[in-house]
Amino acid sequence: MSLHNDAQLIRMANQIAANLGGGRDEESAVAAIRRHLETFWARPMKQRLIAGLEREDSELVPLARQATQQLAERLSEPASVTGPGA
Amino acid sequence: MIEHFDPSQQAQEHIQTYAKDLGTPPPAAGAAMVRLEIDGVAIRVPEGTSVLRAAALADINIPKLCATDSLEAFGSCRLCAVQVEGRRGTPAACTTPVTEGMRVTTQNERLARLRRNVMELYISDHPLDCLTCPANGDCELQDMAGAVGLRQVRYGFEGENHLQATKDESNPYFTFDPSKCIVCSRCVRACEEVQGTFALTIDGRGFDSKVTAGQGEAFMDSDCVSCGACVQACPTATLMEKSVIDAGQPEHSVITTCAYCGVGCTFEAQMKGDQLVRMVPYKGGDANHGHSCVKGRFAFGYASHPDRLTTPMIRESIDQPWREVGWEEAIAFAAARLRAIQAEHGRESIGGITSSRCTNEETYLVQKLIRAAFGNNNTDTCARVCHSPTGYGLKTTLGESAGTQTFDSVMQADAIIVIGANPTDAHPVFGSLMRKRLRQGAKLIVTDPRRIDLLKTPHLGEAQHLPLRPGTNVALINALGHVVVTEGLEDHDFIAKRCDSEAYRAWRDFIREPHHSPEASEAITGVPAEAVRQAARTYATAGNGAIYYGLGVTEHSQGSTMVMGIANLAMATGNLGREGVGVNPLRGQNNVQGSCDMGSFPHELPGYQHVADPVARGRFEAAWGVTLDHEPGLRIPNMFDAAIEGSFKALYVQGEDIAQSDPNTQHVEAALSSLECLIVQDIFLNETAKYAHVLLPGSSFLEKDGTFTNAERRINRVRRVMPPLAGKADWEITVDLARALGYPMDYAHPSEIMDEIARLTPSFAGVSYAKLDERGSLQWPCNAEHPLGMPTLHELDFPIGRGRFAITEYVATEERASRRFPLLLTTGRILSQYNVGAQTRRTDNQAWHDEDVLELHPADAELRGIQDGDWLGITSRAGQTVLRARLSERMQPGVVYTTFHHPGSGANVITTDNSDWATNCPEYKVTAVQVEKVSRPSAWQQRFDAFDRAQRGYLAKAQQEATP
Ligand code: SF4
Ligand code: SF4
Ligand code: SF4
Ligand code: FES
Repeated sequence: MSLHNDAQLIRMANQIAANLGGGRDEESAVAAIRRHLETFWARPMKQRLIAGLEREDSELVPLARQATQQLAERLSEPASVTGPGA
Repeated sequence: MIEHFDPSQQAQEHIQTYAKDLGTPPPAAGAAMVRLEIDGVAIRVPEGTSVLRAAALADINIPKLCATDSLEAFGSCRLCAVQVEGRRGTPAACTTPVTEGMRVTTQNERLARLRRNVMELYISDHPLDCLTCPANGDCELQDMAGAVGLRQVRYGFEGENHLQATKDESNPYFTFDPSKCIVCSRCVRACEEVQGTFALTIDGRGFDSKVTAGQGEAFMDSDCVSCGACVQACPTATLMEKSVIDAGQPEHSVITTCAYCGVGCTFEAQMKGDQLVRMVPYKGGDANHGHSCVKGRFAFGYASHPDRLTTPMIRESIDQPWREVGWEEAIAFAAARLRAIQAEHGRESIGGITSSRCTNEETYLVQKLIRAAFGNNNTDTCARVCHSPTGYGLKTTLGESAGTQTFDSVMQADAIIVIGANPTDAHPVFGSLMRKRLRQGAKLIVTDPRRIDLLKTPHLGEAQHLPLRPGTNVALINALGHVVVTEGLEDHDFIAKRCDSEAYRAWRDFIREPHHSPEASEAITGVPAEAVRQAARTYATAGNGAIYYGLGVTEHSQGSTMVMGIANLAMATGNLGREGVGVNPLRGQNNVQGSCDMGSFPHELPGYQHVADPVARGRFEAAWGVTLDHEPGLRIPNMFDAAIEGSFKALYVQGEDIAQSDPNTQHVEAALSSLECLIVQDIFLNETAKYAHVLLPGSSFLEKDGTFTNAERRINRVRRVMPPLAGKADWEITVDLARALGYPMDYAHPSEIMDEIARLTPSFAGVSYAKLDERGSLQWPCNAEHPLGMPTLHELDFPIGRGRFAITEYVATEERASRRFPLLLTTGRILSQYNVGAQTRRTDNQAWHDEDVLELHPADAELRGIQDGDWLGITSRAGQTVLRARLSERMQPGVVYTTFHHPGSGANVITTDNSDWATNCPEYKVTAVQVEKVSRPSAWQQRFDAFDRAQRGYLAKAQQEATP
């Protein structure tokens, strides 16, 4: 079951990379993809995508992979915003 | 000067203009004022006003029959004859324009005699069954006979007459009784001038002349689209609503807003007690100016349909019968379940969906309930599946997630591009307005795989059709941009003053690349390069270029990219920030704009304020007294995936039918079946409700107060005309649920909800019910700088300062025609049915479209041995369904088309879970399919039937048990 969901998230991330990757240099492409994930993806989706980075067989394209890595780094920084309540 | 009327006194004009028929339309705005005297009364009116209208404005009522202020004067009945000092004869007041110093006499013995003679002739050929006539009490002929003092008819009724002419009752909503016709041609002119269909003509001459639909056909067999404009224009009982024939004349009326499409027409709901007798489009409505389509005017019967749910119901699981319970028990049951699921599976395991059919106030409350009481951001709206790319694309480029113009702006457009939209079917009243402009000579460019009806507009001037392959929008818009840049058609001044120069330079470099040229993209789009060049030149050089687009733009894997491409094109040519131009999304449902504005997207609080923005979030936290999550929540498709996976367990759905409207039905069904608690609030047992555990009966738009925001950002009032059938308006149900969850909300009336919205949403800061009642409607942003709202956006600057060109690389969809699935399916809607059809299927609109069919080109049909009417199996990688074939030249070979108005057709069983890269808006418009002749329904349809029958049985059982 969860495999389907992982594959779906990877497919989405790759699609974002394909659309935000064109016409930009690598650095700004990665930043744009990361920003997109940050702005629009739900917490559990981000976590799942990041968790998938470890997997050998992950089909994330390079730009999406880098963006996910960047996202992981930023999320592990001490939160600057207060977390949600109960 | 005895009396003085000055229409420039706005308020006075407002009241005067709509209360009565002034006979002829107002002249164009800004005309110089002219002074004249009518019956000794001094009057000042704008130049171009008719004597008839000028008199009416001063409350001098000249008799008239063929004139009405929604139509150009025609001058045929001669009843409005007047005398003008220094002029011979008795000119018709309706066709005589005022002139400076004119002195008019409207009443004297000579005129009275003349008018009586005219009336006598009419009446001698008119049945005298006034007492039992359905128009009794609302007949201009009767009124005029009274007004002119007709006392005898000398000709007798024995002569030749039309009294035996037969009635045409073919239309389900109105009758045509030619024996009562006075051949004033108001109906013919309404059909031409207002509706633009040209379905009616006056046949024959003199005594023999008569009104005919089409080529002497019945109304239903003619081109008539049943908009009702002719019925409204008819001064007699000749064209008459059947509902009035049945019920008699209404006795009071309430102004409200249509609950169907994104045009948001204003209506007068004419009532008899709490029975709705007829809907008459309101002349004072700023979106529709007194016009409407068949849905809004006639298709309201669903509100009193026996299928309406009236009692709350609950059950433990979906294979059990329903149990009718009281409101309190149902709400307590739902709340307990939600809390239990959160306790076991976590705060994020539940969520909610609102609908574009809900009012702003309802949508606002649902997202508030989710964010504040559920404690997460798992809120979404059905706009997800239609216009979410508009939000993303326009916000990124222009800084505001909304269309830039008013509808009326189209009347200033010189070149109109219509992309992936079918206004004559999906936004009919706006379609009529656009047709009017096209008849005046504006150039039309249609970008659509199908030959839409707009291209068949009678008296259409120059028109170009770019019949692109489905899924290649971005390649085409880039080619148009390429031509603009390489042929030097840009508006450099606009770009320099209004746009971000770095983003522009990057875009310019990008778009100049040869692979964007029309010649290079011809292989992708299938549109001849020369046609693309021609279209780009027309748009860029015509003067005012306006772009209108619909779901054929958004519902693609590159929907958001395409929206940005459209904005790029408008910026590059300087077609923004004034009347007649702009980027205009045509919204499918009535409140798509509003549901987006009201913060129902998981990442945005009301007014498009991101949940991660600490300042905005802080304001909501302070007002709502809770801490809010700063991470976006799940979108509808993400909810489905999470439900199937097992991490998402409960859903509150208000007014939306995801089981029918969302793509890949079997995936949706699997998701809904795996929920532990599904709460559905709707007026019918819709497809989604069949998977529910709690059913909360909702109210129709006639039963509650609220507001809708149409496609031009216009906030219109919805007013209650009858009490809610099930006892509660929808907002009250949400309030009850919140209270049961331990989060009391305290509102006495929807106006208080709007007050809270205004406090928390900068673009709504100046909106209140009081101001809406006073102004009729308001276009947001409405705040301190724009206290009366803002008809045209981006006149001076963009909300993000400068406009931002976006890089729009074409990325082909993964959904491609292949050997296995050689055809491309695209979906859409038709005039008479609305979305999932839950409402329109429960009205006589069924007469036009009682099943979804598959349209395909005769060449594709021949190849497969398919004939018109054959049963076809349509298979995609997502599923299979069976529909009847209709051969149609409107299609290009290789492309097939269907609608999704009927649940059993399963159009969405075939659509896939491909979606827009930025917003997950489903790619409804491209599915690779194969079709073949079959002899029975698909496996899914058989399952659907069995499930449907079982669920209806559960409902019937509950209702039986409840009535002892
Ligand atoms: S109902 Fe509308 S389309 Fe039909 S004849 Fe009347 S005006 Fe024309
Ligand atoms: S049908 Fe009505 S509107 Fe049309 S010509 Fe006859 S009386 Fe006039
Ligand atoms: S469906 Fe649309 S066009 Fe038709 S009456 Fe309603 S708002 Fe107007
Ligand atoms: S109303 Fe003026 S001629 Fe008929």
